[in-house]
Amino acid sequence: MYEDFKMVGADLYTQGITSSHGGNLSVRIGDRILITRRGSMLGHLQDDDIIETGLERNDSGITLASSEIGVHRAIYLNTSALAIVHAHPVHAVVCSLEMDEIVPIDSEGSYLLHKIPVIAAEHTVGSTEVAKLASQVLKEYKIVMLRGHGCFSIGQVLEEAYQWVSSLEVSARMICLARSAGIRMKEYRGESDKYSKW
Amino acid sequence: MYGWMGKILRVDLSHGTTREVPLDEEVARLYIGGRGLGARIVFDEVGPGTDPLGPGNRVVIATGPLTGTLAPASGRFSLSTKAPLTGAIHDSNAGGSWGVTFKKTGYDAVVIEGRADAPMCLEITDAGASLKDARDLWGKDTKETVQTLLERAGKSANVLCIGPAGENLVKIASISVDGHRALARGGVGAVLGSKNLKAIVVMGGWKPAIKDAEMFEFACYESGKWLKANPVTSQGLPEFGTSVLVNLMNASGIFPTRNFRQNQFEHAYSISGEEITDRLLVRKAACWGCPIACARRIRLDGAEVEGPEYESVWALGAECGIFDLEAVAEANLLCNRLGVDTISAGVTIGCLMEMSESGLIDYPARFGDAGAVLDLLGKIAYRDGIGDELAEGSRRFAEKHDAPHLAMQVKGLELPAYDPRGMKAQGLAFATSNRGACHLRANMLGPEVLGIPKRVDRFASRAKAGLLIVAQNSFAVLDSLSVCKFASFALGDEFFARLLSAATGIKYSAQELQVVGERIWNLERLYNLREGFSRRDDTLPVRILSEPVPSGPTAGQVVDLEPMLDEYYRSRGWDENGVPAQRKLAQLGLEGA
Repeated sequence: MYEDFKMVGADLYTQGITSSHGGNLSVRIGDRILITRRGSMLGHLQDDDIIETGLERNDSGITLASSEIGVHRAIYLNTSALAIVHAHPVHAVVCSLEMDEIVPIDSEGSYLLHKIPVIAAEHTVGSTEVAKLASQVLKEYKIVMLRGHGCFSIGQVLEEAYQWVSSLEVSARMICLARSAGIRMKEYRGESDKYSKW
Repeated sequence: MYGWMGKILRVDLSHGTTREVPLDEEVARLYIGGRGLGARIVFDEVGPGTDPLGPGNRVVIATGPLTGTLAPASGRFSLSTKAPLTGAIHDSNAGGSWGVTFKKTGYDAVVIEGRADAPMCLEITDAGASLKDARDLWGKDTKETVQTLLERAGKSANVLCIGPAGENLVKIASISVDGHRALARGGVGAVLGSKNLKAIVVMGGWKPAIKDAEMFEFACYESGKWLKANPVTSQGLPEFGTSVLVNLMNASGIFPTRNFRQNQFEHAYSISGEEITDRLLVRKAACWGCPIACARRIRLDGAEVEGPEYESVWALGAECGIFDLEAVAEANLLCNRLGVDTISAGVTIGCLMEMSESGLIDYPARFGDAGAVLDLLGKIAYRDGIGDELAEGSRRFAEKHDAPHLAMQVKGLELPAYDPRGMKAQGLAFATSNRGACHLRANMLGPEVLGIPKRVDRFASRAKAGLLIVAQNSFAVLDSLSVCKFASFALGDEFFARLLSAATGIKYSAQELQVVGERIWNLERLYNLREGFSRRDDTLPVRILSEPVPSGPTAGQVVDLEPMLDEYYRSRGWDENGVPAQRKLAQLGLEGA
């Protein structure tokens, strides 16, 4: 389990999907949560950077947990997620500043995600507003973007949740590249006009 | 209603009457159909202590809102009842095209109660239902019965029937669907036999209405893309059938052999999907509307017949130490004609073989003796000699001979073809399954072997409960939609949520489907608790708990169940005895249950 945290954390950092001290990871085991320590470096996680606390009830572990734990808890309580990745994928954040939903133009992103909803909140870090909005959207989607901040992604294991983040960022990078290059896209996908209805 | 047909047929065999009642829209929304609808009706109408083979038991045959639509792999239906083999709530599920034709008669479900004075056949058409004298069919095997009824009704009909095993109240009797599919487990054939109901013939022309045809077609289109892109659903299963698993399971050290004494079979290749394809395959076949097409038509003794599935190849092959592929296929065919569950029959015979080799019983049946298997299947179906004991299933048989530790069963239902010592979440799945040891309540082959959705450490015990619960809930939903579980190798809950929403016009999210599955699971749990089941029944055979695997890639492994069970109960919101907390029941709308 700890090895999964280290692998995904290191990947998020080395791929440039999050900053040195940004992002957080968690898994749910019954009524307990394992979550990265507040201020930990995802690229260099140690065993004691992974904190255990209650899903619904605090214990001493809460003093060390990520400041986003409220959002993680709300997601676990409202969905069947068993793992959550929160990261700050640069290109996806840029897209979220303009778009209400990110519809990938690349094949993999279309295939895996169809579309990624964007939510907005006045207080974007660890707020109850984000907890409520994100947990509701994730009842229907595997990943959600918080405008100007980052994404929350769910899975049955950390690797799965990480896959959606990685795929989102690649898709967003392609959208940004296509736009900056002024490319007028020739549609190659069947039924693509319906992706935004997914 | 959209997706659903909106009607249930009620049949009272004791009084020889039939009537229609409307499908309750709220029940449909909360339980969807198929297994969920069946569980609700059985829970409400089959009270504590009801004799499974008495007139008070119910048989609920139900389709789902996706049955008979363009949704992929949606040609399935469920039969729910209280099982004579286990005493637990039970449903069996089958493919083919019977379920689709039944739905075309205009009903979502048929609920059968009572007991007829003489053998009857129920005929359901889009013009109504009627009971017909079936005394001339009693005693016929399933092939003869299907042929006779199709000659009478025409080839557009579909037939569900029991064979001699069901008539003789064999507790491992199955129900044949068109002669080549089966509602197999739990002794459901005996329930029909106890009601003197030999067969159900269906003919119909109605079609379910779809609310949002454009979105439904798009969701089908997207689903098809995923099914075609996944090597399990687009290559492994279509090319080799379900027996594609034989070599894979064997190489992984989880292919139970000789009553689970080993879990690698030295002759596995001889009974593998590759061998069936090379030596016996005539053509591939598919259930109604299924793009996967995992069924096999094989040539056996000059005739084209349905080929054995993975579980049957295993139960009648490796489990009994047999590697003569033709003999295994012949035993499978005999089970189908007699109406016997291949898994329970193979495991019960495997138990006898071990007892025989150990000197615990004086009966000449040894591992590897294919002739003995064929002979015993006939004895089981007709309750002849030792077959009368074997007809009660492995638990009762082994207990009678003071060897309960040799019965590979949970809650009375025999284990299928996965040794949980090499996949710990599967062990927890068998132990907690509401119908007894079963790979179709939750199959952890995905995460523990195939890497679907992602591969996890198959030997780890911690953090498996959550994965299992998601799978159990998802499978309950698939059984209620009704969609083949093989589709879920490629498709996640979000696909089924969109298909269901578009078909019915009722908005379901992926998470809401999980809640539906959780509701069904908890209702089934409540039923079993009401029948006296408890934590002590959520267990595994002693061999799995305490006999380390002797060799191979899983050498030294056993299942350390109790800590996993604790984690599972906590994750389910149940107390330490496995009783759902009131808070959990309130969340699921089951307060009064």
